Parts: sequence; C-alpha cells; structure tokens
Amino acid sequence: MIELQAAVSGALNGSLFALMALGLSLAWGFLKVINLAHFALILLSGYLTFELATATGLGPIATIVVTAPLMFVVGAVIQLGYERFDVSELNSLLISYGLLIITVQVVTNIWTADFLRLPPEINPFSAEAVGVGSLRFPVPTLLAAGFAVVLVVAASLVLGRTYAGKALQAFGQDREIASAFGIDHRLLGVLLAGAAGASAAIAGMLFPIGGTLTPDLPFEWIGQVFAIVILGGIGNVTGTLYAGLLVGAISGLVAVVWTPSTSPFVVFSLVVIALVFRPKGLFPQKGG
Amino acid sequence: MRRRARILAVVSVLSVVAAACAGDSTTTTTEGTPGTTAATDTTVAPSTTAAPSTTAEGSGDPIVVGGTLSLTGAFAATGAIHKLAGDMFVERVNEAGGLLGREVQWNLLDDESDTANIAPLYEQLISQDQVDLIMGPYATPNILAAMPVAERYGYTLPQHTAVLAPLMTYACQFPGWSIGPEPNSFIPNQMADALDSLDGAVSTVALLTNESGSTAFISYGIADDPDDPSTLNILPERGYEVVADIPYPPGYEDWGSTAAQVRDANADLVLMNGLGVEANSLIDAMQQLDYAPPLMFALFPAPGPLLGLGDAAQGTLSVSIFEPNAPILEQMDPEVGEIVDEFAERASAAQIPYTVFETQAAASWNAWEILVQGVEGAQSTDGQGICDSLHSTGADLTFSGAVTFDPAVNNFWDTTEGLKQIQGAEWVMVWPEDIAAGALAGPTG
Repeated sequence: MIELQAAVSGALNGSLFALMALGLSLAWGFLKVINLAHFALILLSGYLTFELATATGLGPIATIVVTAPLMFVVGAVIQLGYERFDVSELNSLLISYGLLIITVQVVTNIWTADFLRLPPEINPFSAEAVGVGSLRFPVPTLLAAGFAVVLVVAASLVLGRTYAGKALQAFGQDREIASAFGIDHRLLGVLLAGAAGASAAIAGMLFPIGGTLTPDLPFEWIGQVFAIVILGGIGNVTGTLYAGLLVGAISGLVAVVWTPSTSPFVVFSLVVIALVFRPKGLFPQKGG
Repeated sequence: MRRRARILAVVSVLSVVAAACAGDSTTTTTEGTPGTTAATDTTVAPSTTAAPSTTAEGSGDPIVVGGTLSLTGAFAATGAIHKLAGDMFVERVNEAGGLLGREVQWNLLDDESDTANIAPLYEQLISQDQVDLIMGPYATPNILAAMPVAERYGYTLPQHTAVLAPLMTYACQFPGWSIGPEPNSFIPNQMADALDSLDGAVSTVALLTNESGSTAFISYGIADDPDDPSTLNILPERGYEVVADIPYPPGYEDWGSTAAQVRDANADLVLMNGLGVEANSLIDAMQQLDYAPPLMFALFPAPGPLLGLGDAAQGTLSVSIFEPNAPILEQMDPEVGEIVDEFAERASAAQIPYTVFETQAAASWNAWEILVQGVEGAQSTDGQGICDSLHSTGADLTFSGAVTFDPAVNNFWDTTEGLKQIQGAEWVMVWPEDIAAGALAGPTG
C-alpha cells in the first residue's frame, strides 16, 4: 500500500513538473528556442502570486487573472526579442540562461532570499488532501494535475484542429517551406511564446500553494523538467504529460523501495537511455 | 539531426549540472562578478565583553577586517543575519573607541553562496587588499574553503558556524558556534538525554537525513567509518529503536512519497537531520496524509517558516545556542536585551522575515568577540599573536560565556548548545534543564 501511495504522490508531483515542462517543450519543438527564461517566468509568477495574495487577500488561484495575461505579454516580448535578433537554437539557451539569472537576482532584491510562505488563512490548500479509500491525493499537486490535463488537452486541440496549430507544426518542421506557403511565423511564434508564458504563470501560482518560495528554486527544477521534456518528446504535449506522470511515479516508487537518493540516478539513467535509443522521446507522435 | 543531438547533449549536461548545483545548495544564482558587492564598510564595534583597548589613542589607520558572506544566492537568507549582526558589532566597537585605539572597518565581499568563489576572494582580501584581519564566511563548505587560505597566510580565522569539527584542522581557526569536538556524538546523546526524561514516552525513531555534509555527519558520522559516533549508532545504544532510516538528496522535492514512508514507520519521534524548509515540506506532506508524528525534531531548520506553520509544528524540537526567552534574558546582562531589541528593529527594517536574535546571530556575535578579544590580548593584529593569545586566555563571550580553545580538539569549546521547542508562538529553550526557559513537552497523541 505504501508503494501505491508513493507512486500516486509521485505521479501527482510529476504532473506539476509536466506543467512546467509544457511551455518549454512547445517553444523548443515549434520555435526552436530553448527558453530557460521560462523558469524565470514561473519563479516570477510564484512571487507575484504571493504578493497579490498577501497584499490583497485574493485567493492564490484567482491571482492567475493577473499573472497569466502579464506572463503572456512577457513571454511574447521575449520571443519578439529572439526573432528581432535572429537568435539561434543554441544561443537561445545561453541568452535565456542569462535572463534567468537576472530574474533570480531581481526577485532576491525585491523579496529577499529568505523563505516565503503563504499563511494558512490565505492558502487553505497546503496541508489538504482528497481521500479515496486509504489513498490520499494532496490538493496542491492534484490542482497541478488538473491544470496540466486541461492545458495539455487544450494545446492538443489547438495544435491538431486549428489552422494556427497546423501552421505551427508546419513551421516547426520546416521554416522556409512554411513561410513560402504564407505562414506568418512571427505572429504565430509570438502567440505561442505568450501562451507558454501564461502556462508558466499557472505553474508558478501552484508553488506558493504547495510550499515555500526561495529565489533559487529554478535550479532545483531544471534537471527534472528537462528530463520530462526529453522523455516526453520535444514539442509533444501529451508526451510531456505522460513523461511527467511516469517520472514522478518512478521517483516516488524508487524513493520508498530503495531511498530518495536513488531517484535522481534512476530518472537521469532513463534520460540517457532515451537519448540513445529513443531520441524523439518515449511517446512518439503519429507521423512524428 | 546531428545538430539536434548535439543540442540535446548540451541541455542534458546543463540539466545534470543544474540539478547537482541545486543539490549542493552552493549554486551561483546571481549575476555579476563575485566579490563586487562589497556591501559594507561598516566599522565594527565590540560587545560588552570586548571592551576597547585601554591603550586606545584614537589615532592611526583603521583596522580593516576582510571577509565574505553569502549576500546573494542560496545562503543569502542566513548571510543577511550574519551581516546585520556583524554591522551592529562593528558599530558598537567603534562607538566604544575602536580596537587598539583604531577605527575598525569591515571590508565585506559577496561570495554569492558559491564555494568556488571563497578561496579567490580571501586571496584577494589578503594579498591585494592587504586587510589586517579576516572574518570567516557563512556555512560549513564555505568556511572549509576559506581555511586553507587563512592558514597559508598565517591569519587567524574566526568563523561562525562550521559543524564538521574534525575537518577544521587549522590551529588558528576559532569557532563562534561549537557543538563540541564531536557534534556527531553530542547531538544524538543530548537528544537521548532529553528523551530519557520523558519516561518511556518515546521508544521508536524514524531518521531522515539530508545527505549534505553537516547533516549526514550527524546521522552517520564520518563517511566510510560505520563505527564512528552517529545518530544511527548512538540511539540504539541508548535504547531507542530506529525503525526507518531515510537518506534524501539535497534539493529533494518528492515529500509525498517520503511522508508515506514516515507514516508507515509510525515512530514516536521523527528525527529529521535536515536543512532550511525541508521540515516544513515534510510536515505539509504528512498532514496531507492525515498523519502527524507524536514528536518531531529538525536539526538545522529555517526557524521562522517552521514557527509559521502554527499548530502543525507545535512541539517540534531543534538545536540552539541562544534563544531570547524572557527567563533567559532576565539572567543575562541588560545589554543583551538591548542587542536583541536593536537586532529585531534593524532586521525588520532590512526586510529579514525572522527578526529574532537567535543561534545564527549569536554565533556571529561570538565570532566577532573572539576576533576582537584576540587582538586585544595580543595588542596587535599579528595573526600568530592573536592565535596564541586566544589559545592561552580563551574568550569571554556574551552569548556563550567563558570559553577555552584547545588545538587538540580543533578549538571546539565545551558546547552550550541545547534543545529548543516550538511552544505557542515562539521557540523556547527546553533542554538541558539548567538553561531551560520552559519544560520539555513530550509526544502528543
């Protein structure tokens, strides 16, 4: 039973990482931008959630009314910058790493490096769980799973059933040919980056709900999020969710069967194996 | 395709490096050149016990104390406490006439919480800036990195918080916070002493350990020596069964799984040799499973956030060398109360969330007092002279009393560390009984 609970808790935790990975995977897959600034937007959103909730008494979930549009704009502006300066895929990694470091420092200067935590009267979710039989589903990660499913379904529908989505897929496969067919890749890229920014706002909102904020959190996220992006398949939204759940469940299970210290070894071994044998991820898309 | 594979490889390497950096808690999380944030040029003031030199003439060049603190990065929250305590101390020294009649200036650099920056910055302070004295950085790995530089140049190194006493082998390093020469023996034995007083209310223990240096040292002793004193060895010897032993990596996130393991172990005491807000995360995760352990101990927690958990953290134990509880303050010099109050006021102004002058600030104050008293004893800023003076006369510390330094035990003095417990809205010293401000509360439920 403990193994099942650990796998469930781990999978739900993994869904939070999948939510963080979603925007990164889309930008990398379709825009050829490895946008580490995505972590900066998540961090900033977490702190803005904290600030809005504590200053105005707004419920933490409701803060996405403010943070999601804001991060949409920020994400779009960053993409405009990449477009304007014709930043290559590899250079985007380095530039966005710089943006991440700058953001971490700005956050530190504004909110200090100390631990920040929403008080229980504002955040009733942190210690709550939903029980099914003897299994417990922690509310903060259950919320993450819910948002992750909604965003993945929405992204899949947009990508698969709309002109914009199909255009993005075409652009992701071959920029020149797609442009030759009249696809406005700049506009689509900016919209996609904005949507990724909005998803970062949702992921960021979940961190103060589930725990404690510190400015150096992104450096704890990067490893696991990239593992999920790579295992899920770059640009593969449903694969990202599956990979998040899988990585989380495996981590949880390994933690109780062996020790928590073994989990990173197992997860990153999986990444290495996937890179060698399944470079397009564990969940390839049809025709991909 | 080849290009994509190359990028994937680069990203994978970066991811692993980032994960490792997060794990070490020493990652450079800030921009800029290390050391450029020379934050303070405050002039140090001695404590009440570090009276100004009687030979003070009020003339001559300032005495410059060089040092680094983690003003940004992973350790910045605690670095801010040490900076404030240092600022206050330096100001008091100068208000009292300076040191050897000279003004004291603190040349403080930002090490960005990055251990790799420590040695170059101390080299810079000593060889280029030619500071007269040095003060150690914060956090055990950083102090360990500064120690060889101090030794190479013959500087005395007072340091705030190094826990790994057996590794602090430089004869002229002097700890401001001592858990004795064997913290890996002292802490579990003191814990067992306290548990013994609860008349059998605790018999089983679930041990959780952050695998970073200082916490793993307390749980498992020196690596590769299974017979070294450790929590895992001592508690069973003292009659307490360790029913779960769960090591976890630094930066660990999946507390839900671990909480399930802890719940399954159903121990009387959850003993968490962890850091920062890990205890908060575990308590949250245990609550989500509808589980609250009868008693909990957290070794080096962030005290403010744990206190902020309210009822969920009631009764949680930790270690401390000083808590400003009213019964304790009543027994101390009135100036201690003034220091505590001023610190709270200035910490609030500096936006430090937890404004209580407790272990970290007291350790900082101790380290500065050791430095000042060493200089006064030697009547010079000569490193060896200061070192010899401290070895021969010890120091009289406002927050830890009179201490002596024996190089045979790496100068780790007889500890005054005790146990504190969350009772109501504050941390209360509860053990040992002779220094307690309140009674130790046993397990609940």
